Amino acid sequence: MQVYLPIAEMSVDALLLLGIGFGVGWLSGLFGVGGGFLLTPLLMLIGIPSAVAVASGANQTLGASVSGLIAQWRRGNVDWRMGLTLFAGGLLGSALGVQIFALLKRWGQVDVAVSLFYVVILGIVGALMVRESVTALLRRRRGTAPKRKLHEHTWLHGLPFKLRFRDSRLYISVIPPLVIGFGIGMLSAIMGVGGGFMLVPAMIYILGMPTAIVIGTSLFQVVFVSANVTLLQAWQVGSVDIVLTMLLLVGGVAGAQFGAAMGTKLRGEETRALLGLLVLSVAIGLAWNLLQTPSRAFTISPIS
Amino acid sequence: MKAFARIIWVLGCLLGAGMASASPITAELSTDRVEISTGFTGASVLVFGATQNPLGGDPPEDLIVVATGPTQGVVVRRKINVLGIWLNGPSTRFPEVPGFYALAGTRRVWEILPEEERRQYRLGFDNLRLRSEGTRNPAFRAALLELKQADGRWQEYAAPVSRAGERLFSARIAFPDTVQTGDYQIEVLLVREGRVIARQELSLRVERVGTAADIASLARGQPLLYGVLCIVLAALAGWLGSVLFRRN
Repeated sequence: MQVYLPIAEMSVDALLLLGIGFGVGWLSGLFGVGGGFLLTPLLMLIGIPSAVAVASGANQTLGASVSGLIAQWRRGNVDWRMGLTLFAGGLLGSALGVQIFALLKRWGQVDVAVSLFYVVILGIVGALMVRESVTALLRRRRGTAPKRKLHEHTWLHGLPFKLRFRDSRLYISVIPPLVIGFGIGMLSAIMGVGGGFMLVPAMIYILGMPTAIVIGTSLFQVVFVSANVTLLQAWQVGSVDIVLTMLLLVGGVAGAQFGAAMGTKLRGEETRALLGLLVLSVAIGLAWNLLQTPSRAFTISPIS
Repeated sequence: MKAFARIIWVLGCLLGAGMASASPITAELSTDRVEISTGFTGASVLVFGATQNPLGGDPPEDLIVVATGPTQGVVVRRKINVLGIWLNGPSTRFPEVPGFYALAGTRRVWEILPEEERRQYRLGFDNLRLRSEGTRNPAFRAALLELKQADGRWQEYAAPVSRAGERLFSARIAFPDTVQTGDYQIEVLLVREGRVIARQELSLRVERVGTAADIASLARGQPLLYGVLCIVLAALAGWLGSVLFRRN
């Protein structure tokens, strides 16, 4: 069943989009991440223009994360003060990211730049995840528990503008969360991802937040930053395709519920190792595309 | 079915008129609107008509059908390898090229028309006026032709002008799903002894209708409102979906 996408100005098989949405939703439910990092490259692969793929990917991430945020908020797992601090950084970061995106589009380098960002970020994050989970698996097999101090003091704690984050049991400077929010907001605008897969480790390892509160608070940031990216992309680039978003969401929300049900059967380290491998393989696939001699030596695009 | 009835009716009239009147050629389109709706996958329009003299008589007469779409500006970029990575490198801008171009004929134009006539009526890819800015390199023009043909927006003899009987002719113009909206010109030329002896111009409008049109015009006209709507709709769909598919 073909459906015409009014902003992408092309027709795509609706069942294919529902299927992609379901598959990505299933994986994101299984691993507890938004799945934007899989969705945007897949959309580009089936021929959606990269500008539309990124903008609609952000829009889809917003929809896919809303229900998670509501569920976490009901359980009281959202640190509003931390969330708002991260979002303040994310707001600036995503605004800058959309400007960079518009500039790249004018230069005709969006496709290459988006792929490059994916390769670098996913490569690093994937490698770190695999390494961390393999060490954890080996340690469990040897039966030695990791020695970690409850609270480590680093140079981060010497920064000014300290604020008390009661729900996270932290008294730290606002600068690290602002910078993290900013960086992830910017990447989110350029890559069309929510950034949960980068935000969660950053909150645990850099800020030292308790794990229970991390997921809810990161969802807070993801929902509001992707809303901001959607708004700015629609306003300044004009590349959000609501028909595309909706088809992906219908498949995605259904898939996420099945994935989440299955995710409870997997162990933490194993899940993280699998997710790390998945992230790494997306990075390698995109790197291969960048390095391979293109089938056509020329590209064509309309003058905007 | 309605379109078919219309064709039969018009053909009947044409046949009568073609024989009676002095006009050497009469042509009509199967439709004067192509509507892009939510289920649009491309469209095909029939150009048909009749000639006063029998085609292929002595001296032989030939027919050419050429369709041109609204002009657009395009950039052609060449990929270059920088440190192993393929980037978009030097570019050439073509500020005015037809967004759509299709040529069909009973014979190839170079067999029946001299060069200056072909250039005057812009018949064939070689005779399109493609003004360029930037890198002066014929490879970019060649690439433009190749890429435009690859996505089906430029066609040369993709479908023939076919004859039925002595005086009737028809040609099919196929529009791909990526077709631009706007006004299209369709010219039917009658050629005899290396000269265009008659021409008829028809026009066709390609426009979005229904939901697709509403979404596109809202996104262009009020992008801020459209952005807010996208946020609200996505959030609602996400919330509703999680309620519907909850598995516990």
